[in-house]
Amino acid sequence: MPRRRTQTLQLLMALGLALFPFFAGDYWLHTGIICLFYIMMASSWNLLAGYTGQVSFAHAAFAGVGAYVSGLAAIHFHLPPLLGALLGMAVAAFLGLLLGVLCIRMGGIYLSLTTLAFSEMLRIIIDNEYEFTRGTMGLSVPFILPVYSKTTAYFLMGAVTVAVLCVIRSIVRSDLGTAFRAVQNDETAAASLGIHVVKVRLAAFVISSTMAGLAGALYGHYHQLITPEILSLNLMFFVLAIAVIGGMGTFVGPIVGAIFLEFLSEYIRIYGQFHVLLFGLIALAVCRFAPQGLMGLWQRRMRALSS
Amino acid sequence: MQDLLLYCTNGLLLGVIYALSALGVSLIVGIMNVINFSHGELYVLAGYFSALFARALGLPVLAGAGLAVAVVFLFGLLVERTLIRNTYGNDMASLIITFVLSIVLQNAYLLIFGPYPQKPPNWVDGSTRLFGLFYYGNQRLAALGAGAVVIAVLFLVVKKTWFGKTVRAVAQDREMAAMVGVNPDGVNMLSFALGCALAAAAGVILAPIFPVTPTVSVGVSLTAFIVVVLGGMGSLGGCVIGGLILGLVQNLGSAYVSSGYKHFFGFFILLLVLTVRPTGLFGRKQL
Repeated sequence: MPRRRTQTLQLLMALGLALFPFFAGDYWLHTGIICLFYIMMASSWNLLAGYTGQVSFAHAAFAGVGAYVSGLAAIHFHLPPLLGALLGMAVAAFLGLLLGVLCIRMGGIYLSLTTLAFSEMLRIIIDNEYEFTRGTMGLSVPFILPVYSKTTAYFLMGAVTVAVLCVIRSIVRSDLGTAFRAVQNDETAAASLGIHVVKVRLAAFVISSTMAGLAGALYGHYHQLITPEILSLNLMFFVLAIAVIGGMGTFVGPIVGAIFLEFLSEYIRIYGQFHVLLFGLIALAVCRFAPQGLMGLWQRRMRALSS
Repeated sequence: MQDLLLYCTNGLLLGVIYALSALGVSLIVGIMNVINFSHGELYVLAGYFSALFARALGLPVLAGAGLAVAVVFLFGLLVERTLIRNTYGNDMASLIITFVLSIVLQNAYLLIFGPYPQKPPNWVDGSTRLFGLFYYGNQRLAALGAGAVVIAVLFLVVKKTWFGKTVRAVAQDREMAAMVGVNPDGVNMLSFALGCALAAAAGVILAPIFPVTPTVSVGVSLTAFIVVVLGGMGSLGGCVIGGLILGLVQNLGSAYVSSGYKHFFGFFILLLVLTVRPTGLFGRKQL
């Protein structure tokens, strides 16, 4: 696409996003905010899985870490939610570093298994320490802003999402991003060119976990209720399905996937909890027949048109 | 003393079943380098089928159990052929696809069988006095025996038969095996299905004792993964030792420390293995 058209498109999209709250009712505004959360989650997971080829199953768990740390700090130490979110982000980064150091040098499968175990372990702790975390009852936390307003929350989430996306984009385009892809394509070749494979992978893991922590903290304070559901495998599945359906390893893929799935799920809500089953089947079909996701299909179509 | 022996017997029983289920994961990892994240769902599927065959179709319990394992074996063949085969060489793709499959199956069970626990009838009734100290359910003893028999048969198949030799050849060197006339795709398909059937065997053996629900599968998968890492990826003997260790640690831990943290001990072992000896107890030196 010519540069001019891309810029116009971006401008139009930004305008649309900025004006969205003034057209949308309360309900769609809520959907939009949830969608922003999923964009952050899926894009940061994609930075790890799509660009370095490491499948972490702890992404929802790190969102949970962010949410619970921030929520507990707000309740016990009366920390303002926005500062709490930063604290949650820092704790997620620290745990990500510890977990990463432990399992990253062992390679792909070990990372997946360990992150899955970590995520279940965290869920068990939160379920069991109900005196502190209120277990499955959920933790009531203050709203993200001093005054309750969905529109302001939307703009805050939107601003953070844009910031996160900018960081991801600049990483992907930097030397570090090149190193990410080199490590994914051929570890040995990357190492022979002087790339420290373990450090590069660790960097991707920590950055991605930190972003998940931030997203989780904001999400928790927006909902004003944090339950162990946030670190369940179901949420993890949504994040993964969004990235897979949108197209892993592309910048736009997770964004498209999040919008597609979130709005689709609003329309199929009448089928109750079985919309998860439908998402699963879609994701399975995409994995099998279009491993590059919607973005891959789009690119193929554009190429077919131009040739 | 009496309590300790009881906990150890329970640990032994669970350990044997953990080993059985983990052998399925280990077989698939060793041969195809694929981690099957839907392992636990196949365990649950077999549990449901054995309940269904025995209760709805009125088959004898053991026949129903055997049939359930056979059905899951066929399902494994189907999954390998339709979903796994075109991901060879791409570990990440098979991880993602089996994870998505596990969520799909969990939600399909919820839709079809509902959230309620289901169990097939007991194979045997009554209980036996063990060591002159406590009474232990005959069903549990039968499960212990059945688990041990299946493991023994599997080892005989892998170590002594022609099929086992082929499988080991492919696990050691895929190209070499293909060169001497082994069809690696066929071996993959069979071993994937065999791995699924082992999960199913664990499922039908434990289902009369611990009824199945759509979500117990997560714990089953995780336990199997922990055992595989503890024993060493791809080592079948390691699986048996690892399974027994995990069974004992879980039962003693939940008895003497806290029962809410039953699954926590497994993760603790996993973290310990990863820090101290990442190749596991009997793993290959090179990964």
